[in-house]
Formats: sequence, C-alpha cells, structure tokens
Amino acid sequence: MIPIRYNVRSLAVRKATTVATAGGIALVVFVLASSLMLSAGIKKTMGSSGRADNAIVLRMGSDAELGSVVDESSVPLILAAPGVKKDERGQPIGSAEIVVVGAMDKLGTTGVTNVSIRGVGDEVMRFRPEIRVVSGRPPKPGTDEAMVGARIRGRIKGLDLDQTFDIKKNRPVKVVGIFEADGEAYESEVWVDRELLRQAYGREGVESSVRVRLDSASKFDAFRAGVENDKRLGLMALRESAFYEKQSEGAALFVGVLGTVVSIFFAVGAMIGAMITMYAAVANRQREIGTLRALGFSRRSILASFLFEAVFLAAVGGAIGAAASMGMGLVRFSMINFASWSEIVFSFDPTLRVIATALIFACGMGLLGGLFPAVRAARTSPLKAIRG
Amino acid sequence: MTLTGLAVRNLGRNKFRVVLTVAGVAIAIIAFLLLRTVIWAWAAGAEYAAKDRVVTRHKVTFIMSLPKRYVEDVRSAPHIRLATWANWFGGKDAKHENEFFSTLAVDPESYFVVYDEMKVPPDQLETWKHDKQGAIVGDVLARKMGWKVGDKIILQSGIFAGDWQFNVDSVYEATAKSVDRSTLVFHWDYLNDSLPQRRKDQVGWIVSRVDNPAQVADVGVSLDKLFDERETPTLSQDERSFNASFLAMFSSILKAMDIVSAVILVIMTLILGNTIAMGARERTGEYGVLRAIGFLPGHVAMWVVAESLVMGLMGGVVGVGLAWPFINFGVGRFVEENMGGFFPYFRLEVPNMLLGLGLAALLGAAASAVPAWRASKLNVVDSVRRVA
Repeated sequence: MIPIRYNVRSLAVRKATTVATAGGIALVVFVLASSLMLSAGIKKTMGSSGRADNAIVLRMGSDAELGSVVDESSVPLILAAPGVKKDERGQPIGSAEIVVVGAMDKLGTTGVTNVSIRGVGDEVMRFRPEIRVVSGRPPKPGTDEAMVGARIRGRIKGLDLDQTFDIKKNRPVKVVGIFEADGEAYESEVWVDRELLRQAYGREGVESSVRVRLDSASKFDAFRAGVENDKRLGLMALRESAFYEKQSEGAALFVGVLGTVVSIFFAVGAMIGAMITMYAAVANRQREIGTLRALGFSRRSILASFLFEAVFLAAVGGAIGAAASMGMGLVRFSMINFASWSEIVFSFDPTLRVIATALIFACGMGLLGGLFPAVRAARTSPLKAIRG
Repeated sequence: MTLTGLAVRNLGRNKFRVVLTVAGVAIAIIAFLLLRTVIWAWAAGAEYAAKDRVVTRHKVTFIMSLPKRYVEDVRSAPHIRLATWANWFGGKDAKHENEFFSTLAVDPESYFVVYDEMKVPPDQLETWKHDKQGAIVGDVLARKMGWKVGDKIILQSGIFAGDWQFNVDSVYEATAKSVDRSTLVFHWDYLNDSLPQRRKDQVGWIVSRVDNPAQVADVGVSLDKLFDERETPTLSQDERSFNASFLAMFSSILKAMDIVSAVILVIMTLILGNTIAMGARERTGEYGVLRAIGFLPGHVAMWVVAESLVMGLMGGVVGVGLAWPFINFGVGRFVEENMGGFFPYFRLEVPNMLLGLGLAALLGAAASAVPAWRASKLNVVDSVRRVA
C-alpha cells in the first residue's frame, strides 16, 4: 500500500489545480443538494398537511378545493356519515370551509400573485389543534378580522400584523394574528371568518369542502361509501393525506425534473474536470510512479493510490458543497402550486438522506473521473518512466 | 510563424486534454442554453404579446366573473375597436386524466376577430358559428389527443358538473409565438344556457383591442374608472403586463434558474482555467527561453490568453452545435406538446446562440487571467533553471 499521505501531499503541492477541481465539484454538489432539499421540502410541507385519519369531501370531479362546490344542505349529511369521530359532547368533529384566491401585490418584485384565503367557522380549532397563534390574537368570529400564516407573512402587501387588505371593494380586513401550523400548507394561507368570505365572494348557500376526523384511518372506506352512495349529492371523499399528495405532484415533479436534468449535465462537466486534473497528475508524476514501481509497489497499489487521490479530491469538494448547501435551510422559496393556483412557500429541507446522496454522488464523480488516469498510471513501465 | 499561430499550435501539444476541456465547455454551454431557453420561452408570452390588446378582469380574484353587460360598456367606451369575452371552463378528458389544456367558452362572433393570430379556415369557422356544441382546438392539442375534424368528444369540468359533449369543427394554427396551440374553445351560449339562473350571464374576462397601441395603458385606466363605481370593480391590463404579472407568480423559479445558469458558467471557467494553468506550468521552461531571446512579458501573457480563448470558442461552437438539434428537435418538441400552456414556443433562438458563443469566448479569456499574469511575471533565470 502506498501511504495516503503521499496523495494528500501531492494534492497540496498543486494548489491551484486542486482548488479549481474541488471548487467545481463543490458547486455541482451544492446545486444538486439544494434541488434535492427543495424537493424534500415540498414533500414535507404537503405530506405533513394531511392526516390519514382525516377525510375531505369535494364535489365529484374537482381536483382542488378551489373549483369545488358543496351544498350547505349536504354538510349535516356528511357529518352524520359512518366513521366520523364524535367529541365528548357527542358532536361530530369536522370543518366546513370556503376556499378562494385573492390577487395581491407581491413585495420585492413587481406584479400580483394569488393568495389562498380560507373561510372557517368556530369548529375549525377543534378540528385542527395544531394551529397556534404565535403573535397577535385569534380573529373574533363574525368580524372583519383575519389571521395570516407565518410563511406568507411579510411577503405580500397588507399581510402582516396590524395591516389591512381589501377582500372586496371598500371592505378592508384587518390582520390581527399570525399563526403556525407545524409547517403545513396552511402556513401559506390567510384565514378569515367563513360568513365574511361567503358574502364577499358570493358563496351563499355553498361551501368549498368539508373535512371530518374519522374514528380511525381504517374507517375511511365505510365513510366514503356513506358519502358517495347518495348519487344525488354528487360528492366524493378522499383521504386527506392522499389529497395533499396529489396537490403537490405538479410542483414536486417540476422541481424534480429540472433538478435532475441540470444535475446530470453538471455531473458530466465535473467528471470531465476531475479527469483532466488526474490525467495531468499522472503525466507530471511519471518519474515518481516509475520509482514507486521500481521500489516494488504493485500495479494494483498504484491503481488504488490514484483512484483514492481522485475520490479524496472529489470528496473534499463534495463536503464543502454539501456544507454550503446547509445554509439553504434558512432560505424560503415561494412558488405557485399548480393544483390550487396560489402562492405557497416552501423551505429547503436538509435531511441526512439528501446530504448522503450528494456526498455519494461526489465520490462517484471522482471515481469515474479518476478511473482512466489511474489505469494509465498503473500501466506505466518503470524503466521507461525513470529514464524519462 | 506568427505569434497567434504559436498560441494555436500550442493547443496541439496535448490533444487529449484539449478534447476533454472542449467537451467540458460544450456540456456547460448546452446546459446553459437549455436553461436560457426555459427562461426565454417563459417570457415569450410577454415579449410577443399584442400591443393593442387590453384584458379586463375582476379586480380581486380570477375565480370571480364580471356581469355580461360589461362587454357592451367596454364596446362603447372611447378608443375601443373590438371586444370579446371568455370564461375559463377547466375541461379535462376522462381518458387522459393527466393532460392539462385550456378550455374556454367564447363568443363565436368576435373571438377569432380579436385573436386574429389564431388562424381558422373560413368555411370551418362558419360551420362552427352555427354549431352550438361545436369546438375548435389547437393543432398541437389535436395531434396529442388524436382528435380530428368531425369527431365527437366528451369532456368533464373541474368547475361545472356533468358530461359535456362537443363536436370538433376545426383546428386552429398559430401565426405568433405567443399563441398557446393547446387550447379548446367552444360556444359561450352552450355553457351559459345550462347554468342555473344565479350563475348565468357572467363572463370570466373581457379582451378588447384599442385603436392606438400607444394609449393602451390609458384606455385600461379609464375602463377601470368606469367600472369602479359599479358593484364589481375591474382590473384592466395591456396584454404584455397581464402576461408579465403571470410571470411574477413564478419569479422564484426564474431567479433560481438564473442563479443556476450563472453557476454553470463558473464551473466552466474553473475547468478551462485548470487546463490553462496546467499547460502554462508545464511550459515554464519554454517561456523562460522565449523571454531570454527577447520576447516581452506581454507576449507570454498573450499566448496564454489566446490559447484559452480559442479553447473556449471551440467549446462554444461544439456546445451550440449540439444544443441546437437537442433543443429544437428533441426537448422543444416534447415541451411544446406536453407543456404548451406554459411554453407555446420552446426553441433555441439566434440571440441565445450568440450569447452562448460570446460567453464561451469571454470566459475562456477570463479563465486565463491568473495563469497569464503568473506566466508573464516569471523570473527568466529561475524559469529556465526550473525542471518542470
């Protein structure tokens, strides 16, 4: 075995080349890790938004709450369907909601964006205990007050504590609270009183969706049969977790495809960079390699030594890139969710799996880039090399 | 031999390394052009928008509509030449659940007059005008779904309940790059007549053409002023701003792509710089000899820069040469057929090709800055003595 110190020192001697190659790999790993983190962030936000023991009822054929219309008269029937959990007073646990989008001015850039506005009733807090008001206070029912999700706060004009936005002509709504919801999609929404939204958007007599808590996740099929069997209602029931998974499909696919295509190009480029560096290293060290062979080191140990050097170089670059990408955890990324046509804010989620994938990817680039140069090094004839 | 000639001949000394470097630069240029084309195609909707068209919609949200009588008010407003309207239908084909395309309920008399860049054969247009269940589809959509003139198709809607039957009466073609070739349009009356009284006589948005494109913004302002006193205030934008505000919803993605395409260029510069630095170091002795026989530091620097520039340019030519068929005949076709709503025209344009070439040459020169500076500062005696 050729000592590892030999490789590390060789890299240190050629500082400029080492920095350029490792720097290139670091950038590639940074971009790859960031796009993987964003994909993970989208899945986390949307995945955590739905519970398996919750069901959501929409109009048959609607993909999203936005286009869905559920008659007010159907709500008691849905709440009375089999499998719906009751609270200690014997009341079914559920929430009928109206969801609309409003065009609002985006801060920091020109143009408007769509913001989801959810009209809720008193029962919502019992249905969603994870909602916490972190500053200000909850809106008083029956008033023109709103609370804003923590993630969208400050990104849109009027959506911050004590500011106002118009829900309708000459109908300003005051933001009195900011809420968090364990990172769920609701954190990108504005919540107001259901009756206020009903008037402002002309939704008399209808809701967008009805959600219910089930006795257990396994009760879903019974609930669904109960809701869907009455064809006159024209309703369909979905598991809440499945509903959100479908909602995130478009965005996750988009980021995933774009990230993968870019990463493949990057990987090929960085591999070529590593290859150039290692070929030059082998060419410059012909005499050394010849000497090592003459001293009795086998072809195999020369091959291993140069492969190690390439992988080490890539791993150093990869570690720097992965470390830098952790900083993206602080960045918030907002994009339009294709299913609801409204703005939703995601975070980059630095999971262990993402970091591991990025590091393995870097080592792979080093291995592939170093393979041919290492083979050339191993084939060096000691006599010729020493003679020069 | 000329001074430049020497620089070019230097390229031939390590052909393998030059090939690898050119390949690395070419890969980076292809990735860069791909991203540029995405950004460019996204903005094309705003770039190629008609300059004399104004879109008037509900001020607060796109999910609410305007009273139909607003159309007549717009038509009689000053400077308006023509006006038409449309409603978003949200149609989808049950057999192709995941295919997204726009479906609009339009006014048969005026729609294709206002959108005169959508070309329909005159006889088929006449047939369609008299066929209440008739539909006209874009050529890309027709090809993708396998629809032919004379077919009967059934669509569902995410907004309006039930099965909707249409007769395909014609296929339109586009004469402008901003036209979505995957839209289906049908009679507004067909939709309106089947709605309950409460939802009747509503239009999604009104599109008008003005007599003087220079005044298009003022016309929008005066339309909004007209409706501001009524029950439903409006927001009027010229088509370019309308499309641009749509883009603003995706500004994070566009910014991310900008950053990534800059990172590609940095990686490319690192690969080039690395190669040049290695070549310059190997030739330290020669540069010493050349300096000793009277060449100036500037000459040495010039050789290094020229070599790098030529290599960058070669990579640029190869990259653009490969990117052109790759985007225009591979990715572009796929994108136009499957994501036509976002990217009606996804092609590598000449300005982007020139940008790719120019940047490859420029960054080639930039990459050689440090090695060229170092080579020119060499001490003659030291460099001749040094064993590479």
